[in-house]
This record gives sequence, C-alpha cells and structure tokens, in this order.
Amino acid sequence: MPKLHPLLEPFVPTSDDPFDAVKAAHLLNRAGFGGLPDEIARIQSMGPQAAIDLLMDFPDARAEEVSQSDLPDLSSIEGYPKSFQEIRKLYAGKTQDERQAIQQMLQQANREAIAATIAWWMKRFANGPYPLHEKLVFMWHGHFTTSAKDERAAALMWNQNETIRRFAAGNFREFVKGISRDPAMLDYLNNTQNRKQKPNENYARELMELFTLGIGNYSEDDIKQAARAFTGWTHEDGEYRFRKYDHDEGAKAFFGKRGNFNGDDIIDIILMHPACAPYISTKVFRWFVYEEIEPGLAESLASILKQADWDLRPLIRTILSSKAFYASRTIGSQIKSPVQLVVGTVKLLELEMPPPLRLYGSLEQMGQVPLMPPNVKGWPGGRMWINTSTLFVRYNTCVFLAGGSAPMRQIKAIGKGANKNARASAEATGSFKPTVDAPPKELVDYWVNRLIQRPIPDDKKQILLDSLGTNPTESSLKQMIQLIVSMPEYQLC
Amino acid sequence: MLDSVSTRRLFLQRGLTLVSAAVTVPTFLDNTVLALDQKADGARVQQASGKDGKILVVIQLSGGNDGLNTVIPWADDAYHKARPAIRHDPKDVLKLNNYVGLHPNLAPLKELYDNGKMAVIQGVGYPNPNRSHFRSMDIWHTAQPDNEVATNGWLGRFFDNTCAGVDPHVGVSIGATAPLAMKGDRITPLSFERPENYRYTGKDRERYEELNQADDAPATQPAEPSAPKTAREKFEQAKIERAKTKIEITPASQMEFLTRTAMDARVSSDDILRMTRGHNPQYQYPANGFGQGLKTIAAMIKGGLPTRVYYVSLGGFDTHAGERGRHDQLMQQLAQGVSAFLKDIQQQENDDRVLLMTFSEFGRRVTQNASGGTDHGAAAPMFLFGKNIQQGVLGQHPSLTKLDQGDLIYTVDFRSIYATILQKWLDTPSKAILGSQFPTMEKLLRV
Repeated sequence: MPKLHPLLEPFVPTSDDPFDAVKAAHLLNRAGFGGLPDEIARIQSMGPQAAIDLLMDFPDARAEEVSQSDLPDLSSIEGYPKSFQEIRKLYAGKTQDERQAIQQMLQQANREAIAATIAWWMKRFANGPYPLHEKLVFMWHGHFTTSAKDERAAALMWNQNETIRRFAAGNFREFVKGISRDPAMLDYLNNTQNRKQKPNENYARELMELFTLGIGNYSEDDIKQAARAFTGWTHEDGEYRFRKYDHDEGAKAFFGKRGNFNGDDIIDIILMHPACAPYISTKVFRWFVYEEIEPGLAESLASILKQADWDLRPLIRTILSSKAFYASRTIGSQIKSPVQLVVGTVKLLELEMPPPLRLYGSLEQMGQVPLMPPNVKGWPGGRMWINTSTLFVRYNTCVFLAGGSAPMRQIKAIGKGANKNARASAEATGSFKPTVDAPPKELVDYWVNRLIQRPIPDDKKQILLDSLGTNPTESSLKQMIQLIVSMPEYQLC
Repeated sequence: MLDSVSTRRLFLQRGLTLVSAAVTVPTFLDNTVLALDQKADGARVQQASGKDGKILVVIQLSGGNDGLNTVIPWADDAYHKARPAIRHDPKDVLKLNNYVGLHPNLAPLKELYDNGKMAVIQGVGYPNPNRSHFRSMDIWHTAQPDNEVATNGWLGRFFDNTCAGVDPHVGVSIGATAPLAMKGDRITPLSFERPENYRYTGKDRERYEELNQADDAPATQPAEPSAPKTAREKFEQAKIERAKTKIEITPASQMEFLTRTAMDARVSSDDILRMTRGHNPQYQYPANGFGQGLKTIAAMIKGGLPTRVYYVSLGGFDTHAGERGRHDQLMQQLAQGVSAFLKDIQQQENDDRVLLMTFSEFGRRVTQNASGGTDHGAAAPMFLFGKNIQQGVLGQHPSLTKLDQGDLIYTVDFRSIYATILQKWLDTPSKAILGSQFPTMEKLLRV
C-alpha cells in the first residue's frame, strides 16, 4: 500500500493553527449545508475527529427505514397505474378525448408528486437528521443522474432517491450494481429498450464514460459488448426485472476477458480497471475539498478506496479529516451551488423552507433544480454557476429570503394550473424578523459571523455599520442582513 | 438621454482611470481593453457600440410546429386526404407558388415575402429523426445528433471560437435560462425574461455596489494617469503567480472572479434597462412574452449592444388535439411579432445587418390523429427574414406519400443552413463549429 499523501494526513490542531470557529463552520458547510452559531460552537468544542464521528453517525438506510413520518407526500399518485397494462385498463372503452383527459390528469398528479419530493428534499437538506448523509445523496444524485423531466414517474424518482440513500456511504461496487437495476435509471438511459435482438448501448456507454471510468478508458467495442451483457435488464411494477428471453447469453469479449458475462460481471471487471478507483475517489475529493488536485493525490485516494474493498466510508473520513480539507486555499474557495446557497440561507436565517413553487423558478434560473439535472453528466459546478444573469438571481433570491421583495416573475409552477397559488404565495413577504438586541457594532459582527462565517475587510464592515445606523431598527437590521447576503463573500464557502 | 456609447465611455474612464486595481475592471473589458496595449480607449468604444456588426436573431418555435399547416402544400391531394379535419382550404392559403402557400394568418409574412424579405426552406431535418421533444430540441441546439452529452451548442461554439474576450453581451437570450444552443464552454450568454428582472432588486443599491467592488479599490481616490498599464501589469502578475503554483482557484481568486462578474452585471444591467426603457416604437408587438421579447431585442439593437446573436421563443406548438384554433392563433402571433420587429429595425436603419431565423424541434405527422390534432413528426420548413436574404421557396418539398413511419423525409439537413449562416452571415468557418463541412446553400443570402 502506497504511503498516504501528506495532504491527506489528518489535520491536527495546534496552538498556532487551532480548530477554530472558522474551521468548525467550514466542516459544517462542506459536510452539510451550514451551521448556526450554537451548532458551530458545539462542533468546535468536540474537536475535528469527534465532530466527524458525529457527522458520519448515520444509518446506510432508506429514509422510510429511518422514519415513517418524515417522507415526501406522494398522495397525488396514490393508486396511480403502475404499468402499461394498468394504463390500458384505464383507457379501455374510452374515447380519444377521454383518454387525453386521463393522460393529462395522470401527468398533473405525477408533477405534483415530483414537486412534493423536491419540497421534502429541500426541507431535509436544511433540517434533516443527517446533513452529511444528505450531502452525499445529493452528490451521487448528480453522479448517477436521472432527471424527472420527460414525465418520468415520480414514484420511480423517489425510489431512486432511496436507493442512493442506501449506498451513498456504502460499498461502491454494490452501489453500481444497485443503480444498474434502478427502474428510473433503466428508463432514463434506455436500458428498458436494450434487448438481445436490438441492443441499446446508452446505459453501457454512460456506465463507463460517466459513472465509473471517465472518457478514453474503453473502446467502442467494449461498449457494444457491455451493452449485450445488460440486455433484458428492465423493470415492471416499479421493481427490477430480468427478462431471460431478451438477454444475450452469448460469449462477450470485454477488457481482455471472455465469457458469458451478465451486467454484474461487467461491473466487477470495470471496477478492476486501473482508472476506476482514481476516477471515483477524486470525484468525492473534488466535491468536498477543491477541484484542482495535486500530483499523487489521486493515487493515494484510490488506494484508500481499494484497500477498503470499495467501502466509501474510510475515503470520506480521510477526506474530511485531511490537511487539504482545512488548508487556507480550501476554506471559502468553493462557489456555493444554488441548492447550497438557498438551503444555507434558509437554515442560517432560521426560516421555514418556502414551498417549492416559490423557489422553483429561482433555482431553475440559477441552474439547479433537484431531481432535474440538465443532462446525464449532472451539474457542472464551480465557476459555471456564475454569470451576470445567475449572479443577479442569486443575490435577489437571498434578499427575498431575508425579507426583501419577491423577485418578479421568477415564480414558476411545475404543474400547470398551479400558477395562481404560486403567485399568491410569492406575494406574502418573507417571515424573516431579526431582533435588535445589541449595539450596532456587535450586530454587524454577529451577523457577519453568522452568515459569512469568515472575517471580512474592515471597510466592508464599516459599510454595513453605516447601513445599520446609530439607532438600529428591525427594518434597518433587516436591510443590513440583505446586504450581507448580497456580498460576493456570501457566494463562497 | 445618454446613448450607450457615451455612457460606456464614461464607464471606461471611471473603470480605468479612477480605479487602480485590475480586479475592478469588468471581465469583458480586460481581454479586450487590456490587450489593446497602448491604443486609445476609443477603439474599444467603437467596437462596443456594435453599430456595424451583423446580427442573427433566432426564433424557436417550441413544441414541434406543424410544418404542413404553416407552409401548406395546397395543391397536393395527399395533404387534403390526410387531414380532413384540420386542413386549410386552398382558397384561404396565401400562395407562394403552384404547390405551396402560407397559413392564412401569415399575411404579414406574405407581405414580407412579396417585398423580398423572406425565404422559405422546405423539408428541413436530419437523419434518424428523434421524436422526443427534449432529445430532438437538443439535437437542433447542439447540431450533434450523435452526442447525447454535449454541453455546448452551435452558437455557443461560435462565440467560443470567434468572439475575443469574454464579453457576456455576445449572446442575449430572452427567457429564464439560456438555451443550450447559446452555451459555450467559455462564454455563457446573458439571459433574462424581462429586462426589469435583470438587475439587483435589493433596496440599498448604493451600498450593494460598494460591497461588490474589489477590496483594494479606493473608488474615490484618483489614480495615476498610467493606471491602465499598471492594472494590466498587476493582472498579468497575478496570472504568473497562479501559474507558478498551478492553483487557479483560491479564496482570493474566487473573490476576484465574483467581483468582476458583479461589475459586468451592473454595467450591462444599466445599459439594457436604459435601452429598453427608452424604446417606444410605433409598431404593435404582440402583448405576450414572445412579442415583448422581440421588442426588447429591437431596443438592444437600437441601443448598440455589441451582440451577435439574440434568441427568443414562442411556445405552445405541441398540438396533439384541437390543432386548428391554437395553431391558427400561434401563426398570427408569429406573423405579428416578426412583422413589427422588421418594421422597427427598418426604421432604426438597422435592417441591413439583421437576419432572423425560425426553427422548431420537429414538424408533425402527415396524417391527423383522432383528436383533431397531429403527433410528433420529423422534417419541416424553416423561415429566414431580412433585407439580405434571397427571396423564394428553397429546397425540395418532401413527398407526402413516400414517408418514414408516417413522417416526411427531410431533403435539407439543418446543419447546411447553420453552415450557410455561420459562413456567409457570421463570417466564420463552419467546420470547426459543426464538426464537419456541410454544404452551404449558395442561394440563401445575398451577401
């Protein structure tokens, strides 16, 4: 086993370089969606290792195994037909117009359930029991992408979220095998159409290009052979089904091996490819730490993953404990994703998560709606989040959350007919009511600390102090807070 | 009212002579102004005014426009037979030749046609047509039918390849998000639904602006006259430092990036708001998002924004049921919008440098369905408008009886039209952008 890269050695606090509030806040930002002052103080007092123990103390389980009450409201699709046969039954004896009406009703119900799932997830990001787990689920959702667009069934999207939940910190090998059987994925990447007689290569291609190896590590023929191994992998009644008669039982030559491989065999062989472990482990590192990685880091990360036989936990723990994670180049260098920005603001201002109809348009314009990644590559991230248009939307959305005026016409409903409600709820001003409970200077320090969580230049503090006035009122305090969330510093974590 | 040229010059003076640090120069100026070396700022001001560049306006008809009820093969029995409930009577059709004519509600476009400002290209499509809205739209946007994970579009690649600097104004899209067609790897276009939304909506604008300036920018302190040079040197120095460590992303470089983008946003928001507020044309644009979008575009062209491509959409073309009422209405909106826009542009004397193009992700099935509508199809006509197009009906109309799964078989690959526009209108080689050399249509443009 190669020696651990020095940047991956655990950060050990010293008197010169203590585990201070900035570092504790950093941990909560990157391993979750931010922390309030008391949460940061608690983490700081525990020290980095105990803090990570606490964050990693979550079950590798579906949400419904953890709690029967904290689940998305999918009542709109209760009794929704589960299969093509059931839809046919619904259509039987109906005129074309009636069928059209049924279809529209079903689509509307499905969109409502998608909106409910997004709403549930946004709330859970902010106030769920296991922030690190949620952050990992969100990361893998952008890796093993599936989009709810194109009228994808809400029930399947929810099931996929649960599948990801089980494996997010589990064994990567089992994860790939699980996601390869996931009905929403089988739909999204057309494996439901992958049959012996007429193979569809889409899943096999993305499995290697995006999910496990990265481009350039396989040939077109490898894709063809792998696609044959996944023939007959489909779903029925919301469950994975293997259709024997659609499956190609012939011998396949793949990555220098030959045999009657099925999909699981292909996955096992892919995971032995030298490009796989570096590809996956650097993806996790980049998500939590920084994008530009030093020479030698990938190999060291990969060996942690392989050493653990693809168990993701040791890798995650090493990354979150590392010197690289707490380096000065790291803290405050990540551009918050739109979800991180919105969820963090809701959390740090202690707001109720606004209904998705009120946020959907903003999130869309910022470029990130959960369950709706732009394409199979997921969200690009980093500086791609920022351009002159999205920056205004980001600022305006945060100002809105901090009790400012609603961004005009950014409110869009997912389902048709819900527009009126969306507009009505947008008109209700934010519920944010900060209390004036200290002298101006302390108020500035308190709120900068609470929201930006890193020191800012004195001249900027002075601007904030000026805006607060000598006799702060609730209204001037609110305006100052709106200014803080309109600072470039607030875009970073 | 100050015109954009003089205010832009004001900004340049403020940006380059009152402020000392490179970080305070908006991003879209640094690669141009700073690259100008010792040349006078005036050169850039000329360039930025955009008074001479050619402009493409793309109109996307979303949902799959029924080509056969737009450019109607009125003389073909097969048309009338396939669509007994939704066909147009030959006596209502605005005839272009002895085979096809325009939808009755396209009278304003017929007028443009008669005045030599409209070209119709028949049977446009691509091999192995995809009938999913999303996928087919992506194909039209990326011009890469075989690449399902393309992250940039044909116009985005045009910006990346040919537009110097990173001026965000090169592409402006009216809509909540930028279309994939306009996304480049380096350049992302501006996008907004309405210009009023493309601004900071917080109350304290003044302090917001102060907080979004670079830390080391004493905005009130006059600097030495040689400031631009210093700024450039500083900028170069920072670049060299970063190259040494090979680390581009640090808290400081991210702050610099955000601050510069915020300043870009401020300048362009001010420009665009001023231009659109001051634009009150006498022509009647449709009162919907599409019509108002075209009006906004006309205002930005008039204001001299250095934009090469504008993009606007008209939606609702997915006419699976009860097609006639809805489609007739959409045709009217399209015609009114395009007609008002062209008159507006003509009055501004900008008609010489504006080309309009319409497209949809696919046409619709030849045979009507049981709900008085049509299902997703394949090939369909495209329109081009402008003073420099060659009037006429181009390309071969697909057969209405020799079909592929009930759909028209394309006779013109859309990438040939893209290639023609890129080469002959946007003056750029098309091969690098489209991946291979598609034949151009020599008769399409008179330039």
